[in-house]
Amino acid sequence: MSLLIEKIENFKIELNEKRISRLIGYKKKSQEIKEPIKKLIAEEKKKLDYLLHPVAIYTIIDYDQTNKHPIFKDAEKVALCICTIGPELEEDIKELMKKNEMLRALILDSIGSEAAEEVAIQSDLILAERAREMNLWPSKRFSPGYGKWDIREQQSMFRALPAQDIGVRLTESCMMIPRKSVSFRINYYKEQKLSTRRHCPKVA
Amino acid sequence: MSKEKILARMEKAIIEGDKDEAEALAELAIKEKIDLNEVIEKGYTPGIQKVGDLWEKGEYFLPELITGAECMKAAMEVLQPELEKAKITTKSKGKVVIGTVEGDIHDIGKSLVASMLSANGFEVIDLGADVKLETFIEKAEELNADFICLSALLTTTMLGQKKVIEILKEKNLTSQFIVLVGGAPVDQKWADGIGADGYAENAMVAVKIAKKLIG
Repeated sequence: MSLLIEKIENFKIELNEKRISRLIGYKKKSQEIKEPIKKLIAEEKKKLDYLLHPVAIYTIIDYDQTNKHPIFKDAEKVALCICTIGPELEEDIKELMKKNEMLRALILDSIGSEAAEEVAIQSDLILAERAREMNLWPSKRFSPGYGKWDIREQQSMFRALPAQDIGVRLTESCMMIPRKSVSFRINYYKEQKLSTRRHCPKVA
Repeated sequence: MSKEKILARMEKAIIEGDKDEAEALAELAIKEKIDLNEVIEKGYTPGIQKVGDLWEKGEYFLPELITGAECMKAAMEVLQPELEKAKITTKSKGKVVIGTVEGDIHDIGKSLVASMLSANGFEVIDLGADVKLETFIEKAEELNADFICLSALLTTTMLGQKKVIEILKEKNLTSQFIVLVGGAPVDQKWADGIGADGYAENAMVAVKIAKKLIG
């Protein structure tokens, strides 16, 4: 049976400044970022116009078509998604590191992480909406390597999705390249569960 | 400007992260024929130490640490040709071979550790990312290193840290090198379990532990 594979390309990325600050190393909420560093952040953010190429690929399959991992039992369907911001930003980080511009490299790396997370958040919202269209309850998203879901499950994600179509590949150590990529699944249930979100289409 | 004033300004340049000033003062020191050992030990080094102190107090954060290290590096690059000309060798706190283990291409965290160690007086040989496990040992032996620093950012690749220590044990080399480990999935329990000498949760802790372990 051939699977319906779809792409999402029309992302509008708005970055969360606070999360970028935390990623850069400002752990205290009250910490005032110094002007020269603020300036560097602003300069690196400007590069996103040409460094960011967000794209996602997903499919929605029956739970029975998956490897039936016990922690996701009782799911009716499963949405699998891989998304990325593309390789260009990482190439720029490498160049900065070659020039020993470590702070700029860290800032751009943090911006890239935040952008990849934003692509995942927006893809997640679209896939939660798909569940509602099917009158099913979407769970929160799960990524391989987090919680009890082993990182080696990346392999099953990449078997199910032609990630190469969006320029993402998996290494033997289950690392995604480009690094600024996110893979996740959302389980769709017939009934509300502790792990599902609050609103189903019937009430939303 | 007096020598004392120049040295004080060097310290301040590092603390404030003023790269242009740090470089200009290095040039001035050369022009004024100030003893270069003094320039490093009484000018720039107290600056980078103060940056570390401010980080410990929670007044400075990672960006300020990196800026301080970048200023230090910029000043040292100005001084280096003169140091070579005068055949002055700066006293290294220890020789470090560092890299991200095989199968893992994460580079930035490891590079920050390398940069902070270097700014704090260690001689650092950065092997890069995705480094073959045997290469760490070969390079450490070849260069007579004091430290082997192993970075891993994945639960799959952190096993490489364990493997390097196993190879060291097989070759009877554990007493020859101090092994430090770090990376997102790594913690003290893991470091203790695999027999590493230290675990550094960030770049500045790596400097602290390295200084402590080298004695």
